Amino acid sequence: MNREGAKVVPISGRPRRRRAIGPENEELRQRLAELEREISASRSEREHEGLLVTAARMLQAGVLGLSWASLARLQRALYFAWHSEETDEFGGDRRFAETLEPVLDFLYAVWWRVEATGTEHVPAEGPGLIVANHSGVLPYDGLMVQLAVRHEHPAKRVCRMLALDMFALLPVLAPVLSKSGSVRANPENAERLLRQGELLGVFPEGVKGVGKHYRDRYRLARFGRGGFVRIALRTGTPIIPCAVVGAEEIHPVVAKADWVGRPLGLPYFPLTPTFPWLGPLGVVPLPTKWSIDFGDPIDLGGHGPEAADDPILVNRISEQVRSIVQKMVDGRLARRRSVWFG
Amino acid sequence: MSRIAVTGTASFLGARILRRLVEARGADAVVALDITSPPTTLQGVRHRLVDLTLPGADQRLVDVFDEEHVETVVHAAFFTTPRRDGAYSHELESIGTLHLAAAAAAGGVKHLLVRSFTAVYGANGQNPNFLTEERRPDSGARLAWVRDKVEAEEHAFSFARRYPALGVTVLRFAPLLGPGVHTFYTRIFSKRVVPVVMGYDPLIQLLHPDDALDAVFAALAKGPAGVVNVVPKSTMTLLTALHLADKLTVAVPHVVAYPLADLWWASGVGEAPGGFIDHARFLFVADGEKARRELGFQPRYTSRDALLAYLEYRYPETARRAREQREREEAEAREREAQA
Repeated sequence: MNREGAKVVPISGRPRRRRAIGPENEELRQRLAELEREISASRSEREHEGLLVTAARMLQAGVLGLSWASLARLQRALYFAWHSEETDEFGGDRRFAETLEPVLDFLYAVWWRVEATGTEHVPAEGPGLIVANHSGVLPYDGLMVQLAVRHEHPAKRVCRMLALDMFALLPVLAPVLSKSGSVRANPENAERLLRQGELLGVFPEGVKGVGKHYRDRYRLARFGRGGFVRIALRTGTPIIPCAVVGAEEIHPVVAKADWVGRPLGLPYFPLTPTFPWLGPLGVVPLPTKWSIDFGDPIDLGGHGPEAADDPILVNRISEQVRSIVQKMVDGRLARRRSVWFG
Repeated sequence: MSRIAVTGTASFLGARILRRLVEARGADAVVALDITSPPTTLQGVRHRLVDLTLPGADQRLVDVFDEEHVETVVHAAFFTTPRRDGAYSHELESIGTLHLAAAAAAGGVKHLLVRSFTAVYGANGQNPNFLTEERRPDSGARLAWVRDKVEAEEHAFSFARRYPALGVTVLRFAPLLGPGVHTFYTRIFSKRVVPVVMGYDPLIQLLHPDDALDAVFAALAKGPAGVVNVVPKSTMTLLTALHLADKLTVAVPHVVAYPLADLWWASGVGEAPGGFIDHARFLFVADGEKARRELGFQPRYTSRDALLAYLEYRYPETARRAREQREREEAEAREREAQA
């Protein structure tokens, strides 16, 4: 048999335990030394085995603790470090919200220096529907309204935002929004939450508002088809008008390239002075000065739930709310001297 | 004496329903209708060989219903796992239910109970968080698997409309998970590495089979009730479920996931066609209020309970070790408290 051809490859890298050999076995000692040299030679050869074989060996033998199971455990630990094991029935995750909070608080207090007024108009308990103007390409304004109510309202209420379907469809953004307490905007969700006595925030302008051109800033678009009024009427919920000023300038949309967005499943593709020209830097919103004003609540209790089926009335109330929010925005704009410092 | 006929008794749910019926009412009160015989452990159960895919199945069913004095039919002959021969699935589920409903109307059956799936609502981004029974099923679904189920429901209801003596209940079950469940998703779930869609983590519902059986019995006791969702106590997110099971997940962007899954399926390796990727992207969580209100059915298990029950069944060793570890930690915590 050719010994050269059949090399012995040790399975474990540990040195063998040696049995004590007396001086009378000199021949045996020499033979052992020879064998050891042979083994170490074959081992140095193994170092040239190539990446794939090494990787396969590592995976199989679990060198460095690397195995499927350990990777899975690592991933599990990472996931549960910022997700809790239980969510509420709409998918809101307390631990996730707490993890996200420092980032949002930084945006709220430092980056945009949000000034919130009139939070006392938000009911301290029971259902309420906050209706605000939408802007800013990405739904930052929703998150900031949520924080304004959480931080400045005496009862520290949790406000759930109704997110546009379009945001609820986008990867990454969809789970982030739903875990931080938003739900997708549809009548079923809104009605269910209001009947549970929760506080809801809604942007009836929808896509027309959030993807607004820079030249149309602070001109409120049509308030959808008045769906929010119908739900408020049906559930007897007061509407709290809310004006967000400062969000229009964080991503000034100077042009739109919808032909880029459409294949990606986006309703619009904004071009701003920084996006997409500066790459990832273009996604950083500009540090404008924000103000969020809450107005007097509009009580619709006098109409009764059957008024929700009167389209003319619904449209009139919707238009009325829109003009109140527009007036609040205009008032704030008239007092504002600088986009950056308020 | 009137009897209850159960179709699809070789299926997981059909076999369980049959067993519970035999335990509750005796072997003589039930008839098993399937192309294979029911489990051999059920002694003395009447078995009638009926192939729902044959053209003359309706006449054969009318004869069987007459001979056996059948007044109630539980229709459980549906595929939870998609099959590659879509034509056979269509014949069995859609056309089979057509034959069955026609025979039930002609054979004097009073109550036809059809097993269905919450997936008929379709998983899409526009779904409300809780789908009620008023929501129309997704009849234009991309998946033939969904379309066959929707068509089956429609056939059952069209006969109920034309023949008022025939009452129909359609129980839309959330995806089943628990001891004994073997489906395409448990096969994907059994792999060491599970692909997920990048940037999505939808809420899912997992129904324990015991709850499903309770709902069937509540519906049989109540009589015809139309469409009823049968769902567990609470939801959980998909990634929570995968990580609780200690799976390594690999995120695949949805743009490539659909064609890859279709290719994988077409090449005979994949467990399900690409359309099922919607189920890993969007929620189809149903509302169980009507079952509570009209059937008096209260689920006993949450989605998490169902998942843990399945893990206990599928990986008894790992589950035992995890349980022991938890108990040890709890004991240590108690000791520390006692010392403090």
